Amino acid sequence: MTDVQKDFAQGRAAPAKPKDEEVITEENVFDRPDETMGFFPGQVYKDGVVATLLLIACTVLSYAAPAPLAGPADTASVDYVPRPEWFFFFYEQMLMFFPGYALIAFGAVAIPTVFIVLLFALPWLDRAPVYSPVRRPFVTIVGVLVIFVVLMNMLLAVSRIINFPGQ
Amino acid sequence: MIGRLRSQTIETGKFLADWMEDRTGVVTQLEHFLYEPVPKRGAWLYTLGSATLFLITLQFLTGILLLFYYVPTTDHAWNSVYYIMNEAYFGQLIRGIHYWSANFLLAVIGLHMARTFFTGSYKAPREINWIVGVVLLLLVIGLAFTGYLLRWDQDGFWASVVGIKIGSYSPFIGPYVTHFLLGGDVVGPATLARFFAIHVWLLPAMIAPFIGIHLYLLRKHGEFGAEFEYTDRISKLHERQREEGYRQHEFEDDEEYDYDDELDDEGGTTHHRRDGE
Amino acid sequence: MAELQKDRITRGDFLGFGVMGVIMGGIITVPAAAFLLEPIIKIDVLGQSNVGDDWQEVGPVADVPVEEPEVFIVEFPLTQIYGDREIQELAPEVPRSQEDFTLTNAVWLSWKAPILEEGRLGNQANSIGEPEKPAFLEEKSEGFTPEEIREVEESLNILSNSCAHLGCPVRWITNVDGEGEFLCPCHGGIYDINGDWYGGPPPRGMYRYTQFEVRENGRLYIKHAYDVEEGIPGFSTQEPYVV
Repeated sequence: MTDVQKDFAQGRAAPAKPKDEEVITEENVFDRPDETMGFFPGQVYKDGVVATLLLIACTVLSYAAPAPLAGPADTASVDYVPRPEWFFFFYEQMLMFFPGYALIAFGAVAIPTVFIVLLFALPWLDRAPVYSPVRRPFVTIVGVLVIFVVLMNMLLAVSRIINFPGQ
Repeated sequence: MIGRLRSQTIETGKFLADWMEDRTGVVTQLEHFLYEPVPKRGAWLYTLGSATLFLITLQFLTGILLLFYYVPTTDHAWNSVYYIMNEAYFGQLIRGIHYWSANFLLAVIGLHMARTFFTGSYKAPREINWIVGVVLLLLVIGLAFTGYLLRWDQDGFWASVVGIKIGSYSPFIGPYVTHFLLGGDVVGPATLARFFAIHVWLLPAMIAPFIGIHLYLLRKHGEFGAEFEYTDRISKLHERQREEGYRQHEFEDDEEYDYDDELDDEGGTTHHRRDGE
Repeated sequence: MAELQKDRITRGDFLGFGVMGVIMGGIITVPAAAFLLEPIIKIDVLGQSNVGDDWQEVGPVADVPVEEPEVFIVEFPLTQIYGDREIQELAPEVPRSQEDFTLTNAVWLSWKAPILEEGRLGNQANSIGEPEKPAFLEEKSEGFTPEEIREVEESLNILSNSCAHLGCPVRWITNVDGEGEFLCPCHGGIYDINGDWYGGPPPRGMYRYTQFEVRENGRLYIKHAYDVEEGIPGFSTQEPYVV
């Protein structure tokens, strides 16, 4: 018995939209969202708003905080303090925790390689057809932990950098 | 007079559109591109992907502009960047946009990735798109790393020294990685030339097709926003499954046959619907 | 769209594709790979170096004080792509920039402090005494006798400023206890005045220049060569590379 027949048998009115007659199964449940809109203008408008804000931010920042240019490169420098860009902070901080030959190779190369391999393999590590972060807690917790570790490492790096003598 | 001009213009426009459609089919393509249905509820969340695309486009544009003044030699690189910053018309803006949009790019890619991760959008049938996304992430990190050296200032120089030294700790291939990047056994003119080639040609040439694949696959499978785009359908599915469970208790014998039959039917309809698209 | 037409691949086609593949693949890939991997071939296979093999003057050794190290800037001739001297020699009639490309190194000189008790790398630093500067340097700064030259050579530390951890420039600082030490500003690697490991993540002590000589005029001369420790080949052999 389809939904329509059931509705009819129970004395309810047929659904307003004929599209809802489609029988929803495990296979096709994610074929089409409940509510859709045309890509143009709905999504394009929102994308445009974000893009415009970003461009304005870039323009304002390029005068408010001009792109940095330190002194010319000097291989014989002894008083320069090298610092990575902020998006490498967490990685740089991680290197502090791995002293000695074997551990440096482990921390600087092996761990990131394993992490990247895991990233590539992610769709096959988490295959259950469940999408909500609440309903797959293990993956969500791992993801939150990764973000937490990255943020904490960045925080450590920032505190180390601002506390460095002469900075 | 104006009315006639307007109607003539419209006529001409229509003629041109029809002509283009006949010769290239571009109008249909464009309509498919513009009017494809996309999920509605989380639209602001999905601007992260397009923001990434926009920022990469900015990188390409400003990068090409910077090349008109930048000189990739050790004795002149810093001077040329200094010239761009202080003398070239709007040089500060062009380089500022290149610099700041690179910073935003890394941040937005992180958010885009987190969104994809937490909504499970990488699952079947979108695995390849996730993989292409990871490749794009690595390429962007490579671009960020190689671009830093090109200024040939203390910041970029020493950051690259550290990066190259990190590469030298790669087991077994360490020295080769280092010598390949340095273009010799010490940092010098060859290093800058290599980083320039990698930053300006190699990685952008690689990133462009991957962006194309990323967008093609996105359109092929449709945007998967998050489960909250499908709540009605999911609840309907669960309701139906529950009812089927009841029926299963009532008609133990017929159940199997009914179920298979129904499945086949649905398979047929789904298939048909996809063909129609 | 027209129906697809899938013809059989004949033996001739197959061979032809094979030949084409070999020719195309060979011409496109082999020269390109050699072109790109030139530095690896030259350095790792042929054992060449971009740095000129001449003696370079560092400075008068008498200027190095007892308590703390002194930094000297040394320029080594560099032969790398357009900085290559050979190009200028090959086409001397073409007028163009005759600029010499150099690699500048900051060299730390200090007087050796006797090691009282050997430490263990990564665990316990060496315990060291006071640095010892040859006494005759107080009276004269040049015109050394061969014995004096040997004494100076034996009591000098000649250290690279490239941190053995990740290559950041190492500086000399005085810590809160009033003791001097080499500090790497990147990840906090610390070395004592001999350049030996004292603390932090570096896997070894500072790189030492292995080819040096003090001449009669009281000045030190070095070549660009470091004490690379042979670890497990290909796995833990580290060079200061880069600079």
